[in-house]
Amino acid sequence: MSSSLSSTPRATTWAPQPLRSFLKGGRLVAIVTLLAVAWSAIQAGLFRGDLINVGGWALVRQFFAAALRPELSPDFLLLTLEATLVTFAYAISGLALSLVIGFVGGLLSSEVWWLSRRPHRQSPTATLGSPWLIARSALAVPRAIHEAIWGLFLVRILGLDPLVAILALGLPFGAITAKVFSEILDETPRDALHALLNGGAPPARAMLYGLLPRALPNLTSYSFYRLECAIRSATVLGVIGAGGLGYQILLSLQSLRYQEMWTLMAALLVLSGLTDWLSAHIRHALGAPTRLDVNLGADCAAEAAVRARATSGSRALAVLLAAAAVLTPLSLWYVQPDLGKLFAPRTTMLLGDMLRQMFPPDLSPANVVTLFSLSAQTLAMSVFAIALAGLFGILLAYPAAHPARRARGAMLAYSAVRVFLLFCRAIPAPVWALLILFVMFPGPLPGALAIAVHNLGILGRLIAEAVENADKRPAAALRHAGASSAQAFLYGTLPITLPQSLAYIFYRWEIGMRETVIVGFVGAGGLGRLLTEQLSSFDYGGVTATLIALLILTFIVDLLSTAARRAIR
Amino acid sequence: MSTRAPGIHSAIPTAIFELKGVTVRYGALAALQDVSLRIEAGERVALIGPSGAGKSTLLGVLNGSVAPTGGEVRLLGRDVARLSARALRQVQRQIGTVYQQFNLTPNLSVIHNVNAGHLGRWSLAKAAFSLVIPLERETAARALENVGIADKLYERTSHLSGGQQQRVAIARVLVQDPVAILADEPISSIDPERSREIMTLLRELCDRLNKTLVVSLHALEYAYSHCDRIIGLREGRVLFDLPVGQVTPAMVETLYRIRA
Repeated sequence: MSSSLSSTPRATTWAPQPLRSFLKGGRLVAIVTLLAVAWSAIQAGLFRGDLINVGGWALVRQFFAAALRPELSPDFLLLTLEATLVTFAYAISGLALSLVIGFVGGLLSSEVWWLSRRPHRQSPTATLGSPWLIARSALAVPRAIHEAIWGLFLVRILGLDPLVAILALGLPFGAITAKVFSEILDETPRDALHALLNGGAPPARAMLYGLLPRALPNLTSYSFYRLECAIRSATVLGVIGAGGLGYQILLSLQSLRYQEMWTLMAALLVLSGLTDWLSAHIRHALGAPTRLDVNLGADCAAEAAVRARATSGSRALAVLLAAAAVLTPLSLWYVQPDLGKLFAPRTTMLLGDMLRQMFPPDLSPANVVTLFSLSAQTLAMSVFAIALAGLFGILLAYPAAHPARRARGAMLAYSAVRVFLLFCRAIPAPVWALLILFVMFPGPLPGALAIAVHNLGILGRLIAEAVENADKRPAAALRHAGASSAQAFLYGTLPITLPQSLAYIFYRWEIGMRETVIVGFVGAGGLGRLLTEQLSSFDYGGVTATLIALLILTFIVDLLSTAARRAIR
Repeated sequence: MSTRAPGIHSAIPTAIFELKGVTVRYGALAALQDVSLRIEAGERVALIGPSGAGKSTLLGVLNGSVAPTGGEVRLLGRDVARLSARALRQVQRQIGTVYQQFNLTPNLSVIHNVNAGHLGRWSLAKAAFSLVIPLERETAARALENVGIADKLYERTSHLSGGQQQRVAIARVLVQDPVAILADEPISSIDPERSREIMTLLRELCDRLNKTLVVSLHALEYAYSHCDRIIGLREGRVLFDLPVGQVTPAMVETLYRIRA
């Protein structure tokens, strides 16, 4: 009797129930991701013939042979130094602008700021009219447009001026920083803030004492991560004409002077490596070792303020503020932007002209069809690139994490992989694309590979840091219970670090999507290539249509990435 | 609800706190239902009752951070429903609150947390400047001396023990210099040996500086030993509101009895 009672209901629900639970959360994400990667590989042209340009191998051999004989003449070393300083000064100036935008924008798009202004409304529910949501959506557009596109537009309005590079870097970075700052502010515990507000302190003052000090380690930590990004972006902007290391690398590459190129790349490696190293140390001192918390559950980052080692943390902050106060004016002085151009009548006129030509966008049926197929190609490029970067990133991250015991073999592998990853990420994606185009015929695949290599360097490092910061006790407990290192890794380390790693990969997908544009500039296909052609033929109606397609694509990718990160949390 | 003689009230024009039929609802949940009470200057009142009885909500109403969904709330004689945000802040400056979790900024030095008591009076520029070079150090030092940790002025707050952090929170209220001090479970996060010290400190400071005290407590012994009046809350309602001497064990048992 009891068996019939229990078996009857089970029989009726057997079929759908397991399927539903099977497809829930992480598994659904996994299946969709695998299908998407397979589709992207086909779309990107992986299985088409004629991929490899055999004639290019001679150039590749020359290129690598040149690594042993970098150009070391005093004149060229001086040029390299100047180019490095220009790139660094652009990065610092752009970053300074972005932090100002980010702080103001972050405050305005944070829930806690607006709620502090009217603390007496209980349990306020966010509606579409909530001021912080309006501010957030206003920042979504500048954020979705890559620095390089900003650069190409600004150069037409402001002419060739260092101002272009600073604005092109500062505006989108500012919008990105504003979003992250607002998230950090909203995730910071509010108990002290509420205590001050309840005691009658006005909102700004209450935040200054109750919330900002507590958020400061995380804000600073993220700013340092942005400095790493700013160096990379300043190099990319150089490639499209702003000068500095990126520009010199491109010149040397195009004139086939590989020895020069290796000297410049070494400088880039040193600059990038020093920034990354400094950033890691400072973030550690501030108690916020995780570079960016993209897992949406930032409880671990929220209390960096409490975790920070007090003395070194506040000393680090003081040094940083002093450094910022010295470096920013110095950088501005070095690059000499013509601020007067911002308010010049000619600027207003050119801006007006361009806006008039941009509307209405070219939405003719023929163009829309092109945009659809190129959007699919662009999406495929981003998916394929990040899937590759993620796969190899995870594989390389474990040897790239600082080994617990300093065995010689592990340390050697650690150093080698770290340098390899640094090399991958220090070279901008468009330069990788040009190198890959030596040996491959133009098309979306070389573009995707370029993005993959660049992002491999970033993802490998991010995941390695996640591994370093992961709880070591479960794996240690397994080893003490007699498990082999491989078993301890599979059951102790991997399950802890995998969700964070996947979150990073999805997050980089958002960035990779934006980067398809810049490899498109050097002819690697997708919407970026179309945009380059339209810009050079002054087809502004077409440019607007392409930008709209890019914006839509970017928003879709952002939404999917956010949903996926939430599902695997 | 008050069982005190009404004649006393009519002699004094304004009470520190006056609630008439106050209800607070969070969605379907009524945290407070039809609560009426008066608290006069200089009283020492304990709020007791089981978890979820509405003690914290009542304290929130008393410091102006929780707006009632029904009834009338007068803080220092002002009807909160009629106050602008700015006027409400003026009233709130006269009411200091000590919290169970201290509600301090952990990575600021003690002096800044204590100086945060000035924020209602300081300008934004002065407040910002003081974070770089601390201002009014003597006031802060005196407040810390009053709470017995004079040597901790430049210590990082998160490095202090729970009891010491609560003393910093009390020093912040002293700098704020309010008319009344509210304390929401001030000793629940502190080890038992330090609890008596904190309660005695609160009581002595209120006596010496002539401030009204309303404190919610889980530990009943302190309600008897450190307060003059006990308000028993259960399920958002006032079950009794009596001078300490008139509270019987039977009343307390009813207050905490698990509903059948």
